[in-house]
Amino acid sequence: MSPRLRRGERPFPPDEDLPEPARPAGLLLDARLHLLDRQVVDVDEVPTAIVDDLELTESRDEPRTLLVSALLSGPVLGTRILGGRPPSSRLHRVRWSHVAAVGTVVRLGVHGDQLDVLWVERWLRDRVIGRIPGGRHDPE
Amino acid sequence: MKRILGVALGVLTAIGGFVDIGDLVTNAVVGARFGMSLAWVVVVGVVGICLFAQMSGRVAAVSGRATFEVIRERLGPRAGGANLVASFLVTMLTLTAEVGGIALALQLVSSVEPRLWVPVAAFAVWLVLWRVKFSILENVAGLLGLALVVFAVALFQLGPDWGELVDQALRPRVQAGEAVPTYWYYAVALFGAAMTPYEVFFFSSGAREEKWTVQDLSQSRANVLVGFPLGGLLSLAIAACAAVVFLPRQIDVTALSQITLPVALAGGKIALAVVILGIVAATFGAALETALSTGYTLAQFLGWSWGKFRRPAQAARFHTTMIVALVVGMLVLLTGVDPVKVTEYSVVFSAIALPLTYLPILVVANDREYMGAHVNGRATNALGLVYLVVILAASLAAIPLMLMTGAGA
Repeated sequence: MSPRLRRGERPFPPDEDLPEPARPAGLLLDARLHLLDRQVVDVDEVPTAIVDDLELTESRDEPRTLLVSALLSGPVLGTRILGGRPPSSRLHRVRWSHVAAVGTVVRLGVHGDQLDVLWVERWLRDRVIGRIPGGRHDPE
Repeated sequence: MKRILGVALGVLTAIGGFVDIGDLVTNAVVGARFGMSLAWVVVVGVVGICLFAQMSGRVAAVSGRATFEVIRERLGPRAGGANLVASFLVTMLTLTAEVGGIALALQLVSSVEPRLWVPVAAFAVWLVLWRVKFSILENVAGLLGLALVVFAVALFQLGPDWGELVDQALRPRVQAGEAVPTYWYYAVALFGAAMTPYEVFFFSSGAREEKWTVQDLSQSRANVLVGFPLGGLLSLAIAACAAVVFLPRQIDVTALSQITLPVALAGGKIALAVVILGIVAATFGAALETALSTGYTLAQFLGWSWGKFRRPAQAARFHTTMIVALVVGMLVLLTGVDPVKVTEYSVVFSAIALPLTYLPILVVANDREYMGAHVNGRATNALGLVYLVVILAASLAAIPLMLMTGAGA
């Protein structure tokens, strides 16, 4: 058990030499804080998905680092809650190269319509909601 | 001039929209059993919903994020998911109660078995959700709900002993023959009826539907701070009517027809017609709001496109959720459960689920990343903390009280 500190005293020597954190050129993002569980909107500001998880891949060239290659959404939420890992073929990805900006929401530079993650939305639109009379009109 | 009209409209719809089946039933039941001795709970509840609605409206207007987007972002998938399940189930329960309320009110007009009205009511609710613009559905239901003012008129016509009513309200005591835990059980129920979680989902998502910005904040504050207290007065009038007519005769309120009885006694057929119109409007409006809230919560948690401002085909999963919620509510009612009983449970479970939505909103309303200069002031935070304690106490006490009293029997 560590000895109790008196008020005003620091838990480390004040002249300790600490390593400088690397300062990458560009925006510094915390994956948990700025990416996970954020809303994703497409180029027309239409909500598309939530960043349920991230796919990381190792870079090919030296030095080897982990890169975010895709935002994941959909059934992967289940494994996020319960643990485990779905097979790679089951993942619904939004490629990281489609991300245009990261703020309080993650903005994509593409139309959501082409994306895999929206297949349920498309299916329900084409098979159910779009077929009910009035489903494709503006409300009055 | 347009601005004044806008404020007036907002205030009127807030009054009419404040009362739903939960307020109707709980206030009448409480009035019949405890007189006005629980009036203080309505006051506590109204101040609470003003605070809560005002905060969530401000978060939505300033940050552009509705309640459940914020909850997901702040609590993550696990705690947020548990929160979603609880909030969604309570909202479903409330939706079921509201649709049942429409059916009961239509039964009063037609003498047709309410179970036959349930599918009609559910279909009508869906049709409005499908085709009618957000601003129209909100305003029309709110304005027609104002017909419930007839409860206040009836109270004057009944010519009650005002001194006695005020005395009951100002010096609350448990009526002879009632147990103390029962008193507190109904206190929790009344609190849950005034501060229902769906009101907050609806209010914050409605702010996004109507594209509120910082400029609209003062108007929304006026709507809430004037409209809700006046709506609270309506609740008190309902309780007082029951206290005048039923309490001396020791009659318990167990049906919607009894709730309208004091009005019929005081004002005859015309008053009865007006009150039934008011009840249909209030429950119909609340059914729309709860149905929308089921869609809002799920869509916001899972990041779907949502909103009445889009065509149904552009928010397919959102509309599918609402259809499924209405069908499930309808099936539950078709089993023959008593909608009044469903209502009584829904308000208590509302009180239980309340901290889950209240706390994240309180936290985010203080977060400068979202709110910039519009974070809570000191007075709001002080009141917010007091209410956090009140809401937690009500939530924790609800289940023990329910077991002890056999749900208020």
